Amino acid sequence: MIEITIDEKKVSVETGTTVLEAARSAGIEIPTLCAHEGLVREGSCRLCSVEVTERGKTKLVMSCMYPVTREGLEVRTDTDRVRSARRFVLQMLADRNPKAPVLQALCSRYGVVPNVPENVEPELCIRCGRCVRACETNGTSALSFAGRGWEREVTPPFHEAPGDCVGCLSCAEVCPTGRITWEEKDGKRSIWGRTFDLVVCDRCREAYATAEQLRHAGTDPETARLCPRCRKTAQQERIRLGNRGV
Amino acid sequence: MKLTSQKAFEEWQALLSEREKGASGVRRVRICAGTGCLANGSAQVKAAFEAEAIRHGLSIPLEFAAESTGCHGFCERGPLVVLQPGEIFYEKVKPEDVREIFEKTVLRGEIVPRLQYRDPNTKQPARTSAEIPFYARQHRLVLNRCGEVDPFEIEAAVSRGAYRGLARAFSLEPERIVSMIKDSGLRGRGGGGFPTGVKWESARKAPGRHRFVLANGDEGDPGAFMDRSLMEGDPHSVLEGMIIGAYAVGARKGFIYVRAEYPLAVKALQQAIRQAKERGLLGRDILGTGFDFDLEICRGGGAFVCGESTALMASIEGRAGEPRVKYIRSTERGLWNCPTVLNNVETWANVPHIVLNGPEWFRSMGTEKSPGTKIFSLVGKVKNSGLVEIPMGTTLRTMIEDIGGGVLKNRAFKAVQTGGPSGGCLPADALDLPVDFDALTASGSMMGSGGMIVMDERTCMVDVARYFVDFLAEESCGKCTPCREGLKALQRLLHKLCSGRGEAGDGKRLGEIGSALADTALCGLGQTAPNPVLSVLRYFPGEIAEHEAEHFCRAGVCKGMYWPRIDPAKCVGCGACKKACAAGAIRGEPRAAHVIERAHCVTCGACLEACPFSAITAVRREEPE
Amino acid sequence: MNSQAVSTAEAPENLAFDLQDLFKATPRHPRFLLPLLQDIQFRYRYLPRASLKLVAEHLGIPESRVYAVATFYKALSLTPRGEKTVKVCLGTACHLRGAASVLDALSRNLGIPPGGTTHDMRFTLETVNCLGACALAPVVTVNDRVYGQMTPGRVAELIEKESRHEAD
Repeated sequence: MIEITIDEKKVSVETGTTVLEAARSAGIEIPTLCAHEGLVREGSCRLCSVEVTERGKTKLVMSCMYPVTREGLEVRTDTDRVRSARRFVLQMLADRNPKAPVLQALCSRYGVVPNVPENVEPELCIRCGRCVRACETNGTSALSFAGRGWEREVTPPFHEAPGDCVGCLSCAEVCPTGRITWEEKDGKRSIWGRTFDLVVCDRCREAYATAEQLRHAGTDPETARLCPRCRKTAQQERIRLGNRGV
Repeated sequence: MKLTSQKAFEEWQALLSEREKGASGVRRVRICAGTGCLANGSAQVKAAFEAEAIRHGLSIPLEFAAESTGCHGFCERGPLVVLQPGEIFYEKVKPEDVREIFEKTVLRGEIVPRLQYRDPNTKQPARTSAEIPFYARQHRLVLNRCGEVDPFEIEAAVSRGAYRGLARAFSLEPERIVSMIKDSGLRGRGGGGFPTGVKWESARKAPGRHRFVLANGDEGDPGAFMDRSLMEGDPHSVLEGMIIGAYAVGARKGFIYVRAEYPLAVKALQQAIRQAKERGLLGRDILGTGFDFDLEICRGGGAFVCGESTALMASIEGRAGEPRVKYIRSTERGLWNCPTVLNNVETWANVPHIVLNGPEWFRSMGTEKSPGTKIFSLVGKVKNSGLVEIPMGTTLRTMIEDIGGGVLKNRAFKAVQTGGPSGGCLPADALDLPVDFDALTASGSMMGSGGMIVMDERTCMVDVARYFVDFLAEESCGKCTPCREGLKALQRLLHKLCSGRGEAGDGKRLGEIGSALADTALCGLGQTAPNPVLSVLRYFPGEIAEHEAEHFCRAGVCKGMYWPRIDPAKCVGCGACKKACAAGAIRGEPRAAHVIERAHCVTCGACLEACPFSAITAVRREEPE
Repeated sequence: MNSQAVSTAEAPENLAFDLQDLFKATPRHPRFLLPLLQDIQFRYRYLPRASLKLVAEHLGIPESRVYAVATFYKALSLTPRGEKTVKVCLGTACHLRGAASVLDALSRNLGIPPGGTTHDMRFTLETVNCLGACALAPVVTVNDRVYGQMTPGRVAELIEKESRHEAD
């Protein structure tokens, strides 16, 4: 364990913990957009900046990736420099995505007023890449970033319905702005221009996955009768009954 | 023939350099075959020399040798030809000149005056390259073989000392080599100026089974071609440095990342690798020492951001060249998460010299904090353009006025841009600044990889800032918010200023966005991207203010933001402006003062550029005709 | 890159068969993605759409990663290119010495915007950020031939000369 200071507070953490996690464990909140528990960190949105002082040098770093490796690290999460860096990042994002609720909330907290430039079509994608990483984590990698610079965008190859997609909705679930939309109707789910058959749980009658998703996970949709929650309940029931039913 | 011991190498080397000396009776012509001279037809010149030799019954190569060499550096004057004996220097040689050169100079030792270089200011001819100020003030350490040897022949390089540093390195412990590089004070020539030895030491100490050494040849700064010339002209110097580095840090595999736009460099390096392997200087069991090291070339895909270390590694790994957040250094976790040493090709080429001559010798050149030499490409509005290697600490003035011969057309000097898109524009009062890493950074510019672009009064500084921001916005990978969105915001403001739509506060906003971008961007590209803008705000605030408040461009570059006016007192009626004017807006009789009719003028600026007497100036739109 | 849509110069129908030799010569490791795409680009002057999937299968990586790389690097193109690529250097030295007007003249002469390809598939016009031949500024290259000290006036002559040559 290493002891560090965050906003004058002493905090003890394991070596290698990020400053963001260290701050959270001490109840200090730092705003983030591209970071998501369960996904690899990229440090690309640049919102979570903090000032750290180490060996006499003070610098601005991204708390979501900066590892605590030295005793006595001093972290400040709310200095003028930090606030102005966050305001700048928010301004840049909000000017292009003025309607994203998550940005609207942050902007009002930091006193940023979105100002969409001429000839810029308001969007909802902040290029945080959470969807891309979620898709990769699932082993499907149906999405990627394409192009570069201001034109960089999230898309399946050739902007077409992606053959590798299994309709699992991971991308939509991690999207902080609600840019990724889907529809469910008549036992089918549509996303990214594709339509998937939904598999319904025999017990709770809820549609819990797509057939492709189950196949991708190595399960035959024909034999998968219960959703994960009901399967667990059923399992526990069996244990409680001492396997008498078997 | 594969060399299997250091002794065998030494014997071979001695033999080659003996042979080189013994061949002093051979009449030699060295014809530059760098990209610049090839473009001007140097291959045809070489063929003409060979044809002449045969016509005169001289046996090649015993009595006459026409050799293609790498870049001589004085690219603007190409094709360049140097004749031995006597080191006679000819410029702009055409195939039709060859017969005369052969008959007069090769056979009789006479000079052909019309092909000699003449000083643009004094008109004095120079007999040898040493007499040309462009070369005389240089200190060619890294470039010492460039332009002197055939880059496609390993024997030519070895006869001039290549791989002697490597042979010496093998008689030293790897730790000793690392400390030599540390003691020498060598700093990264790619721009950052990080101490090379510290990098090596950290990679050597880092735990890991595999280690890599990489050469960054992704020279992408517009206006810079040092690395290209080095890779094309003396590829063995880069290889030798890398093999020594690999031995010192314990790497067995290396990659040279070469920019997509440099096909000749790729060819030269490929050949060099092949020949070094044949000789046992690369590959398995190098010189019988038991040390294995293999080198591979990676061609870039056309992305400036790949000059950024982590992006370059991503590119080698087969991904889009996007940088990673590096709170853990590449020397610990670099290529495929293994300890990796990445140095610029020029840095690598310095290594053999240090190993051979020792750190003290290296420190005797340059300044205390920036020892050694640095190669610059001196271009733009300067009389002598080309490749220049100088000891660190040389002033900008020496470079521009003495080596460069001053500003083209004797116009007034306005600024010099160093460090490419990451650097800044320095004004006339900065000319006495010594060129070293720290002085340039303190002035708001940076060393960068060594581009040095001279600008005259006809250069609009706001336009220059716009130019660099356009470049960077196109090259930004778009991964982090500040660079992706911030550069676009800067770009919008600059385009507004350069098209006469400037508003109060635009300059201030440029400064705010610029500083915030520098503070928050993910990689070096983004962090330094605002430098061109910030340096113009710092040194040329008047021009920003004029564009913002008066919609006036004093340099006569931004369309519709000035009127060109001919000063009747200075105009001699030469007609150059009239000829240059595509709009037909200029009237005037020969030898009488000319006049511009605003009704027809489209403010293209061609007349301002064409006037040899600086009689045309840009005036405010509201000024009378 | 904004390229004009063109329909000719299609890749062969049996692309998989045509690419066999390249696949055979390329080890199945993701690090060969960029070199493999460069080889395909060199062969067809662009990346035929179907080639991305084949490359992905050969290297054992998702197609989306191939697409990301194909759209990231400027040397790779998903639209067909002309037999000759005319590159106008917009490096700083060229910019200061009038590259923009050379580009305008080329664009007018060829009748295509930068990034475009002529209908007869002879020429593609591109801009490039510094070819490293700054002392010859302004510089234009056609395939790998370098033309230095270009002026708008020399454009017609250059295109005429290049039109007479067969494909490189």
